[in-house]
Amino acid sequence: MALALYPGFYTLAVNSPAGAEFVTVLPRVETMIVVLYFGLFAMSFDFISGYTGYLSFGHAVFFGTGAYTVILAANGKLPLVPTDTPFVLLLVLAGLLAVLLAVAIGSVSFRLSGVYFAMITLGFSQVIYVFVRDWDYVGSNPRDGVSVSFDTHPEAFEVGVPFVDALGLGLGKLNGDELALGVVDLSTVEVSYYLVGLVVLVCYFAMQRIIHSPFGKVMLAIRENEERARAVGYDTDRYKLVAFAVSAFFAAVAGGLFAGYSRAVSPDETFFFLVTGDALLVSIIGGFGTLAGPLFGTLFDELFREFLSKEGTGGGLLPYLQSHLPQGVLEAVIYNGMTVGEAVDTFLNGHASLFLGVLFVLFVLFVPGGLLGTVRGRLGGTASKQVAARLRSAGTNETSGGAASEDD
Amino acid sequence: MSSSDTPTDDASGAETTPDTETASTGTPLLAVEDIHSYYGESHILEGVSLEVEEGEVVALIGRNGVGKTTTLRSILQLTPPREGRVRYRGTDLVGMGTSDVAQGGIGWIPEDRRVFSALTVAENVRIAVPKGSDVDAALAQVYETFPALEERKAAEAGALSGGQQQMLAIARGLVGENDLLLVDEPSEGLAPQIVADVAEAISAASEAATVLLVEQNLPLALDLADRFYVLDNGTVVASGDTDDVSAEDDDLRRYLTA
Repeated sequence: MALALYPGFYTLAVNSPAGAEFVTVLPRVETMIVVLYFGLFAMSFDFISGYTGYLSFGHAVFFGTGAYTVILAANGKLPLVPTDTPFVLLLVLAGLLAVLLAVAIGSVSFRLSGVYFAMITLGFSQVIYVFVRDWDYVGSNPRDGVSVSFDTHPEAFEVGVPFVDALGLGLGKLNGDELALGVVDLSTVEVSYYLVGLVVLVCYFAMQRIIHSPFGKVMLAIRENEERARAVGYDTDRYKLVAFAVSAFFAAVAGGLFAGYSRAVSPDETFFFLVTGDALLVSIIGGFGTLAGPLFGTLFDELFREFLSKEGTGGGLLPYLQSHLPQGVLEAVIYNGMTVGEAVDTFLNGHASLFLGVLFVLFVLFVPGGLLGTVRGRLGGTASKQVAARLRSAGTNETSGGAASEDD
Repeated sequence: MSSSDTPTDDASGAETTPDTETASTGTPLLAVEDIHSYYGESHILEGVSLEVEEGEVVALIGRNGVGKTTTLRSILQLTPPREGRVRYRGTDLVGMGTSDVAQGGIGWIPEDRRVFSALTVAENVRIAVPKGSDVDAALAQVYETFPALEERKAAEAGALSGGQQQMLAIARGLVGENDLLLVDEPSEGLAPQIVADVAEAISAASEAATVLLVEQNLPLALDLADRFYVLDNGTVVASGDTDDVSAEDDDLRRYLTA
């Protein structure tokens, strides 16, 4: 619920008397869109890595497959797929292509386990990354990425029921739809936020259903002791492959959402192994093996980056300090001719990743269960078993319970 | 699926100790024929042969490291033997996948951490129920046999006591509709009074299935089993009828002390 109300809350907060403080602390709605689609990617990564214990270190390849499928289709470069194919169908198509790729990669990679599995999937994804980076079929300058051509695809991508225009709304940074519903006026960004959020929510519920189904229990059994799962009669190779394919599907949907929203993608933002690295990072921060955890981890990550980076107009600590500290303080010399203002600029300008790295180390050391894992652990430890059990089965409520993290 | 036979006394009669050969009548449920198994290059089983007739409880005894667990793993094809045959109802299992072996009706109750600790008690049972079988009936049967498990059905199995985990592992073997249960060191690390409960559980299990029991606790093994094999240095060195020996038997004890 809190996530659904976030854009309204943000508008109110920013226009309140304490607006400057809110701008500094709260993530912009644009950032929240990133949280949603990247959170979906991180959840898909956690689906295979956190639940079966097979670290899919090449997961970015599926994110990239999704993103490039959407862009190539919109540019008329995907054989047999017309440029005006509804976006929702493109997302499904992207997912299915990723499933095929996952079956191909998985049938080789699942012969290995542990660190070797992580390495071979990484290897596959890097090969594809290098290939896409130099593949001039996608565009004239593949290294820098491609964008949706306004000649072949002038309109915004629409999220809605395919072939029913009245039930679709445009998604996009610049050319999406605005919407007026009674007293509520939604900007392009806010409409996009809800559309991306809707797709992510559907995907989340789908993954959650699978996790809580007998299939999901077998995934957990594999994580815990694969041999024993085999000895109970489960063909674990098949289960792993299906789980891998399912997670690839959702990773590609996340990539497709990213491409649909930004209308431009580059290999470095999609296929590169650090994209998987980010998913791993937010999964560990949010809670490995808790489906909603990676979404919270992404929220935490983006919030932190935005707070500590100067980028954009959405506030952050640096501009806030620069405009709110008295001139006298800013000009005070602290060491060897360096003023407070210069020090603030030196330490806070563009070093978000550095601080995040330190934070990550602290998380691994002191919060091994991640945000969600630890909260659940605490509740399970002190409250009665029923509360813990209800929390587990009602992970749903926790997705929308984002307010807790937003207060961080 | 499961045999309705009650455990019968060993019909093949005159078995003597020590003896590496076993006479059999008809096709045994399980016949392990001269298997050689390795971990990497270490030769663990150097020609193990044994037979288990339908309805029997057979104990496999021997000290640590002689290959008892490896024998079970080789039957299950978790550690496939490089030589020899493992015939189950006459079919050779060597080369088959473990999941296929399990689906053929062989259940494994492993030693150490015996359950899926992240799953609840009920989920641990549920996961072992074959597709198409009545899950609720299976759960009811388990709770009837092991009332302690019903009280903790929603708890994560990792939170159970050692004895309860062993009960759960045995229950899982039972609901799997297995004809043959391979039970590995069920009494290991358990307090004596709990061992008695576990023994009762295995007794109950043997009503419904044939049992091959690996056990170092000699009195327990002799008490539960109809016949026994003694394993030493990767090969069977003695076998016989449990009625013919006692737990104080020096020949037997020699094989169990390091």
